[in-house]
Amino acid sequence: MPNVTIYTTPTCVYCRSAKEFFEANNVEFQEKNVAEDEEAREEMVRKSEQMGVPVIDIDGTVVVGFDKEKVAELLGLSA
Amino acid sequence: MKHYNLVIVGSGAAGLSAAVYAGRYKLSPLVIEGEFGGETSTAGVIENYPGIPAIEGYELMKTMRKQAEGIGAHFLEGWVQEVQQDGTCFVIKTKKDEVRASSVIFATGAKRRHLNLPNEKELTGKGVHYCWTCDGPLYGGKTVAMVGGGDSSVKGVNFLAEYASSIYLIVRGEEVSAEPVNYERMQKLGDKVKVILETEVKEIVGEKKLEKIVLSREYNGSLELSPDALFVEIGFEPDQTFVQQLGLESDPKGYVKTDSRMATNIPGIFVAGDMTNHFGGFKQDVTASALGSVAATSAYEYIKSNPGICVSHD
Repeated sequence: MPNVTIYTTPTCVYCRSAKEFFEANNVEFQEKNVAEDEEAREEMVRKSEQMGVPVIDIDGTVVVGFDKEKVAELLGLSA
Repeated sequence: MKHYNLVIVGSGAAGLSAAVYAGRYKLSPLVIEGEFGGETSTAGVIENYPGIPAIEGYELMKTMRKQAEGIGAHFLEGWVQEVQQDGTCFVIKTKKDEVRASSVIFATGAKRRHLNLPNEKELTGKGVHYCWTCDGPLYGGKTVAMVGGGDSSVKGVNFLAEYASSIYLIVRGEEVSAEPVNYERMQKLGDKVKVILETEVKEIVGEKKLEKIVLSREYNGSLELSPDALFVEIGFEPDQTFVQQLGLESDPKGYVKTDSRMATNIPGIFVAGDMTNHFGGFKQDVTASALGSVAATSAYEYIKSNPGICVSHD
């Protein structure tokens, strides 16, 4: 299973769409709420060099925004 | 190639409302959705959709989609790249799929307007943001600025106030034009919000992140402000892709011209939502939904009164 981390804020709908996509495809993921978790926020900025959410880290490849096609490809799924 | 009575392009309030009505007309429509929920899904809490006192835009769109699905609408993910007329049929192509339809409703909405300033693109996500419901919570305890003088900007300010310590609202016009309920809510925030009228953002300055913005006129003795983030909420422009591809008649601002029943100059093609200026500048979920229902009804009447058109080749 790939190692998936998603950096989110509670009100971000693209984050919700991404999480729903993971759930629908039985992809396990770790969620880090960057609105509250300062350490996670710094980690996200370090990885993505920006402050927009969601940021999705799949085995070290960082995707900014919910680019479903790219995420599906990285996970070996069909979008 | 699969044939549908009706293909609806777009799955925001207009497209999904059209799908609900078309489903009830037994048209078994296909909704092609590029980005689920359209503008509504990022609009935060909606408090003016009749019958529902308050609901997240995303939830409202999910409910509408479920309702449409329950009444026989089909959904296909993808961005429509091309629509061609083929006799009395229309051929609709996405990157991966191709379908044929007797009629089409375009409900592709509008594209978010940008400031079109140097550095804006480079600093997007690095202090310059467009989705305040997404990125606003990242600026807890910080100073932020919102550009725009409409209702969405004021809703944005009210949302950001839950996180930011101080907010500038930069408005080009002489006054803020928002729903009184939202405006009063903003006024109650007191000194936390500074409204700067008759002022434009002239420059966005920063290397790796937003450092400052330059205003068109002085505020408190300075032309510069240094917010941690700049949220841009200056309206939308109608999507022109299919207007140009199909030769749909549009007004000088790019909104598709229709009759009162949402029919365009091309028989079989209808539009709904923010692609039209049917209610002028008043663009709401309730108006988009209403236009979707009218467009679906017109498509139904068109198909019923033209039984010989675009016979299925399946």
